Amino acid sequence: MGAEEKEKTNPREDDGEIRIGVYVCHCGLNIAGSVDCGEVAKFAATLPHVVWAQDNRYTCSDQGQEQIKKDIKEHKLNRVVVASCSPRLHEPTFRKTCEDAGLNKYLFEMANIREHCSWVHLYDRQSATEKAKDLVKMAVAKAARLQSAKEIEVPIIRKALVIGGGVAGIQAALDLADTGYKVYLVEKEPSIGGMMARIDKTFPTMDCSICILAPKMSDVGHHPNIELLANSEVTDVKGYIGNFHVKILKRPRFVKNDCSACGECSKVCPVIAPNKFDAGLAIRHAIYTPFAQAVPSTYIIDMNLCLNKDGVTVCDKCMKACERQAIDFEMKPETVEIDVGTIIVAIGADVFDPSSLQNYGYGKYLNVITSLEFERLINAGGPSGGHLIRPSDLEIPRRVAFIQCVGSRSDKSGRLYCSNVCCMNTIKDSLLIKEHWPETEIHVFYVDIRAYGKGFEDLYKRARKEGVLFIRGLPAEIVEDRKTHNLWLVGENTLQKELYKVNVDMAILSVGLEPRKDSEPIQRLLTLSRTQDGFFMEAHPKLRPVDAATGGIFFAGCAESPKDIKDSVTQASAAAARAGILMAKGKVTVEAITPIFYPERCKVCGLCAKVCPYNAIVLNKELKRVELVKAACGGCGTCAAECPFDALTQDHFTDEQIISQIDAVTESDADKKIVAFCCNWCAYAGADFAGVSRMQYPPSVRIIRTMCSGRVAPKFVERAFARGAAAVLVAGCHPGDCHYINANYQTQKRVERLWKKMEQQGLDKERLQLLWASAAEGERFASKIREMNRLVEKVSPEEINNAKKVFEKALGGD
Amino acid sequence: MEASKALVPKEDIRKLLDGEKLEHCFECGICTASCSIADLLGKDYNPRNLLEKIFLNPDAVLASYEPWLCAWCYRCYKRCPQGLKLPEIFLYMRTAAVKNAFTQPLEIAFEKIVDNIPLSIVTTLVCFHPERAGLEIKKILDMIEHIRIEHLKKLKKKKTVKSSGEKIAVIGSGPAGLTVASELARKGHKITIFEAFSEPGGMLRKCIPEYRLPKWVLAKEIQFIEDLGVEIKTGVKVGEDVNFDDLRKGNYRAIFIGTGANKSQAFKIEGGDLEGVIHAIEFLWNANYKEKVKVGKDVVVIGGGNVAMDTAKTALRLNADKVTILYRRSKEEMPAIPWEVKEAENEGVKIEFLVAPKKILGKNGKVSAVECVRIQLGEPDESGRRKPTPIEGSEFTRETDMVILAIGEIPDLGFLPKEIELNEDNTVWVNPITMETSVEGIFAGGDAVTGPATIIEAIRAGKRAAESIENYVKSLAR
Amino acid sequence: MPERIRHAPLDMGKATFPKAKIQLIKDQCKGCGFCIRFCPQKVLEESQEINARGVHPPKIVDESKCLACGFCTAVCPDFAIFIIEKPSKEDVKNG
Repeated sequence: MGAEEKEKTNPREDDGEIRIGVYVCHCGLNIAGSVDCGEVAKFAATLPHVVWAQDNRYTCSDQGQEQIKKDIKEHKLNRVVVASCSPRLHEPTFRKTCEDAGLNKYLFEMANIREHCSWVHLYDRQSATEKAKDLVKMAVAKAARLQSAKEIEVPIIRKALVIGGGVAGIQAALDLADTGYKVYLVEKEPSIGGMMARIDKTFPTMDCSICILAPKMSDVGHHPNIELLANSEVTDVKGYIGNFHVKILKRPRFVKNDCSACGECSKVCPVIAPNKFDAGLAIRHAIYTPFAQAVPSTYIIDMNLCLNKDGVTVCDKCMKACERQAIDFEMKPETVEIDVGTIIVAIGADVFDPSSLQNYGYGKYLNVITSLEFERLINAGGPSGGHLIRPSDLEIPRRVAFIQCVGSRSDKSGRLYCSNVCCMNTIKDSLLIKEHWPETEIHVFYVDIRAYGKGFEDLYKRARKEGVLFIRGLPAEIVEDRKTHNLWLVGENTLQKELYKVNVDMAILSVGLEPRKDSEPIQRLLTLSRTQDGFFMEAHPKLRPVDAATGGIFFAGCAESPKDIKDSVTQASAAAARAGILMAKGKVTVEAITPIFYPERCKVCGLCAKVCPYNAIVLNKELKRVELVKAACGGCGTCAAECPFDALTQDHFTDEQIISQIDAVTESDADKKIVAFCCNWCAYAGADFAGVSRMQYPPSVRIIRTMCSGRVAPKFVERAFARGAAAVLVAGCHPGDCHYINANYQTQKRVERLWKKMEQQGLDKERLQLLWASAAEGERFASKIREMNRLVEKVSPEEINNAKKVFEKALGGD
Repeated sequence: MEASKALVPKEDIRKLLDGEKLEHCFECGICTASCSIADLLGKDYNPRNLLEKIFLNPDAVLASYEPWLCAWCYRCYKRCPQGLKLPEIFLYMRTAAVKNAFTQPLEIAFEKIVDNIPLSIVTTLVCFHPERAGLEIKKILDMIEHIRIEHLKKLKKKKTVKSSGEKIAVIGSGPAGLTVASELARKGHKITIFEAFSEPGGMLRKCIPEYRLPKWVLAKEIQFIEDLGVEIKTGVKVGEDVNFDDLRKGNYRAIFIGTGANKSQAFKIEGGDLEGVIHAIEFLWNANYKEKVKVGKDVVVIGGGNVAMDTAKTALRLNADKVTILYRRSKEEMPAIPWEVKEAENEGVKIEFLVAPKKILGKNGKVSAVECVRIQLGEPDESGRRKPTPIEGSEFTRETDMVILAIGEIPDLGFLPKEIELNEDNTVWVNPITMETSVEGIFAGGDAVTGPATIIEAIRAGKRAAESIENYVKSLAR
Repeated sequence: MPERIRHAPLDMGKATFPKAKIQLIKDQCKGCGFCIRFCPQKVLEESQEINARGVHPPKIVDESKCLACGFCTAVCPDFAIFIIEKPSKEDVKNG
C-alpha cells in the first residue's frame, strides 16, 4: 500500500488552487473576553491561501455551521479552519459540517484558542490576541497541506464484556442482554451483588437492599444471553474498539454446578473463619456461600482454609455430606478466551480504612465501627440477625454517634473529594435505629450535610423530626472508658463555639469511598486514565460522561466516581446504551491516521516494525520488504518518527504538515516562544483541563497536537531549534499509561538521544523538556510552562544562535 | 467608601505557608477541640474562629490578642484533616502586628495568660514564644512581670480563701505537679509535693536548656507557688524514702501522680556501652548542671522527637563542630513539632532521614563510628504509620566521636502499687475526662499519662486533675 | 472486598467445632511419622520417649486444635492411632 494507492475521493479538493476559509469564534465572552476576535480574523485574511475570514459569536451554533456550508459553496472553499475550542470537543461537529457541504472531513483543521489561549491568559488581552493569531497561522499552514482521506471500516463483534458484578455491572449486563447482545459478566468474588448486597436498606425510600437486588441477580444467573464468570478475573486484553480479545482466569470453586445449595456440606465442615462479606463480623466455614441470595448459588471452598490445602485429601466430611456428589477437590484454574466488541468497566470502589486516623481509635476500641460494619449489624441476614448490638458486650446501645467525613474531604488522607453517599447513608441509618429502638439517643457529628438528591431533603427533615441530633463539628478524638467500653467524643460545636464532651455506647465512623486498590491491572490493560482522585476519567465530564477515552470502553458505577445506587444504575443503563449503539451499527470507522508508505525510499531496515506497538508493520525477510496491516494499526505514528529515510509518514499528521506548523510558530519572535508537542490523549487533554480550570500560565507556549508523543520525530525538535525557538517541550502520557500500549517509551529514548547530542554540542539541554502529564494533570502542565518560561526569559541570543548552527541540517531544503 | 491600603495584603494570606490549603478548611472544629489553650481559656480563645477571621478580615486580626495565645503544641496540625499549620499562620499575623506597632493585644494576651495559666512566665518563654515575632525577650519579661504584680495586687484585695484543712499529696514537681499544687492551694487545701531530685521543677529544671529557660525564672516561679503555702519536700523519692502506701495511709485526701517520663527507653545496640555514647536525658541534664560538659567534635543524635532537637541544638551551643540527627522515618512522620525541626535546621543541625543505626563501632573503648542502614517505608501498619524496613546492602559507616540516643522516654512507675492500672506502653491509665486512675482518690497527669509531650499539655492535664480533685474532696466532705 | 478485618466475629460463641479424643497405642508405633507430617492442624509432634519398638512415638501437643478429620488413622500403617469424636453440644441436646 503506497501513497500512489491512496484513494482520492474528490480530486477538486486536493488539486488546483487552495482556498481556505477561516472562522474565529467568540464563544460568547469565553474567547472574546480576552482575545480580540475581530483582529484575529483580520489577520487571518492576510495569510496565504485564505480567501475568506470572519469572526462570529458561536461558530458551533446551527447558524454558524450553516454559514460555513454556505461559504464552502459560495467561495469555493476547499479547506476550512475554525479557531474556537479544543478539537477534542468540537472537531467532530465541524467535520460533519464540512461533509454536509460535500467537503472531505480531513480537509478541516482547528485552532484551539479557548482552552489553550483565552482561558489560560484571562488578564493579558494583548498577548492572548497575539497568541491566537499564531495559533490560527499554524492551523492555516497545516490546512494548506491537508489531503482528503477515506476512513476504513472495521466490523464490530456484537458481544460485550462487563467487568464487575455489583449493581452497576448487573444493570449494564441485563440491559445489553435484553437488547439481544451476548454478554460476559466477570466477577472477582464468588457471588455477584457487590456492595449493594451488603447494605441493609437504601436511601431515600428505605427499600430493603437485597430484596430489590436479588431478583436482578437471579435474572443475571438465568439470562440466556449472559454468561456469568464468577470467582474470575480479567488477565489480558488485546485489540481495539469493536475487536477486543480478552483472557479471563476462572479460579476453581471446587464445587461443581450440580450443587443444590442445600448447605449440608457447610454444617459438617470443621474449619471456620470470619466471613468477609459480613465485614468479618460473622463466621463462615471453609466450604460456604457468602450469603443466602448468592448468584451463582453454587457453594465454594476456600482452599486457603480447607484442610486439604496441601493437595492431599485429608478431610472428606463435605464430600460425604453432599448428596449430589458435587464436590471436586481436583478442580483446576482455567483460562477462558473471548472476543468482544465493547467493554463496560464496573469495578466499583473500596471503603476507606480508618485505622490510620489514630485519634478515632478504630481497631483499638471495640465499640468504634465503620458504617459498612454497621450495615451488616443492622441487617437481618447479618451476624446479629438484625439486632443492633455493640461488639464489646453484645448489648443494644442506647446512645449512638455517627461521625461524618471520615477519610473524605481531607488533604491528609489524600482524599480531597466528597464521597457523595455518606451523609444520606448516615441519615438512613439513624432512621433505621429510631424505627427499631425509638428511645435511642443519636448524635450525628457533621461539617456539611449534603442532601442534594430527589427525596433526600425530606429524609433529612424526617431524621431531625425523629429527634436525631445533628451537631456541627467533628470530634477531635474518641477516648474509651476502660471499664464500660463506653466512648467519650470530644470536639467543638462550631455553631455554638463551644467544646462538647459526649458520652456514647457506640460510635460509627461514616467512612468514605476510595478507588479500588486492585484496579491497577484493569487500568493498564484497557489504557484508562485516572483523575486526580484516582477514579477513572471519562472522555468528557459533561457530554461523554460514561465513555472512556479509549474507544469501545464505558464506565458504570463507582469506578468512575463515588455514587449512590440510583446513579450507578442510571449510569449503567447509559453505558449499556452507549455500547449498544456501537454494536447496533455493527461497524466502526477507523480514523484515517494510519501510515503512508513510500516504498521507493525504504531501505528495509526494519526499525519501523520494531517500534510498532501493534505489530501492524511486518518485516518480510524473504521478500525483503515491509508490509503494512492497516486494520491493526492504532494510529500512533511512532513508525513515521522512527524511519531514518522518510519512507513513512502519518496520514493527517504528515511530516510536511507538522513542519509547516513549526515554521509558522517560529516565523517571528521565535526566541521568546516554547514549541510544545503534546499527545492527544494525555498532555493535550491536560492542557485542555488547565484551560477549563482557568489555570493561568505565561502565553509563550504554542502547542502542536500529535496523536502520540511517539510521533514526535527528532527532526521536528531539531527544526524548532534551528529556526531559533527558545525552548521545546515534548509531552505525553505517563510511562505505562500510553494510549498506544508503549509507544511513549520511544519518545523517551528519542528525547534522551537529543539531550545527549545537545550536551555534546555544548547546548543547554534544559531547553528541551520532557513532561509526562495525564489528562487530569492540568496544574502539572501549567506549572511546567511557568517553569519553562523562566528559562525562556534567561536564554541568551548567543545560545539561540548556537542551537541554530548545531541543528542547521534540520532545515533541509530550505 | 475610601479604599485604604490593607495592612496584611490578601495575596500574602494566600502565600502563607500552606496558604492554598486555607481554602480547604471547612470548619470542622477539630483544631479548637484539640487545643490546650482553648481548653484552658474557654471562650476566650478559638483557633478555628481565628483562622476564619484571618481569612475574612486579616487587618482586624492584628488588633486581636488571639494570635498571641497559640502555645505551639501543634496538636491542631497533627489532627487537622487538611494538615494546616496554624501556629505558623498565627506567627505571620503576630509578625504583621509587631510591624504595624500593635502592642495592646499582646498585653491583653498576657493578662489572660496570667489569669488562667499557672507558671505563666515559664510558659511564656517555653510555650507561647512571643519573641518569634521579633520582640525582645527582656521586654517581654518586663511586661509580663508587671502584669503579674498588678494581678497579685488585685488578688490581695479580694478576700483570702479559707483554709479547708484537707491535705493533698503531689508526687513530682514538674509542670503537671506544680499546676495541681498551685491550683489546689488557691482553693485553700494543704499541698505537699514530693520531689526525688534535690531541687524542684522536674523536666523544666533538668532538661530544658538554660538558653530557653533561665534558671532564675524557674526559681521565681517556684517561689511564687511556695508563697501560696505549698510545701515542697525535695530529695524524697517515693518508693525509696517513702512508700506509696504510706502516703495512702497518711492523712492525704487525694494523691496526684505527676512523675513524668524521664527514663530513657531501653535501646539495645551493639556498642551502646562505649565511652562517648550517652542518653539524651542524661546529656541535657549534664548540660544544665555541670559546668564543663564533654561534647564531641562530630556528634550524632539518634531519634526524631523534640528531645532529639533540643539535644542537637544544645550540642551545637556547647561548641560541637558538626551535629547530625539520624531519623529512621521521613520528615512527615517526625514526632518533633515542625517548628523545632525548622529551627534546628536553621541553626545548622543536619538531619538525615530514612537512616537507622545498626551498631556503634569503637576504638580502644571509645566511639569511633556508627554503622547505619538506609530505610524504606512500607505500607501503613496497624497503627497507621508506615513501617520502616531496612534496605539490604545499603549499610554504610559514619565516623563520629559522640553518639546521643534520643529514642524516646518512658515513665518510671515501679513505685506504684499494682491496683493502679497501666497502659500497654507503660503509662498510667486514667479516665480521660476526670484524670482519675483505676484507684479512687488517686489522680495522674502529664507525661506519666501521655508519654513525652509538651509542657502546655502537662499544665492542661494538671488543671483538669486539680478540678477533679477539688470535686472529689468536696464530695467526700459531704 | 479487599478491606481489612478489624473486629472479631460476634457469633463466635455459636460456632461448633468437632472435638475429638486422640488415642495413641504407643508401643504399636514404628515411628514412620506419617501422622505428624500429614496432620493439617499440626496437633502431633515427635516425643522424646522410646517405645517398645525402640522408636520415638508421637505425642499430642494441643488436642483442642484437633478437628477430628481422622486422617491420622487413615495413614497409620500400624493402626497405632485412632480418634473418638466427642459429641457436640447440639447432639447432646438432640439426644
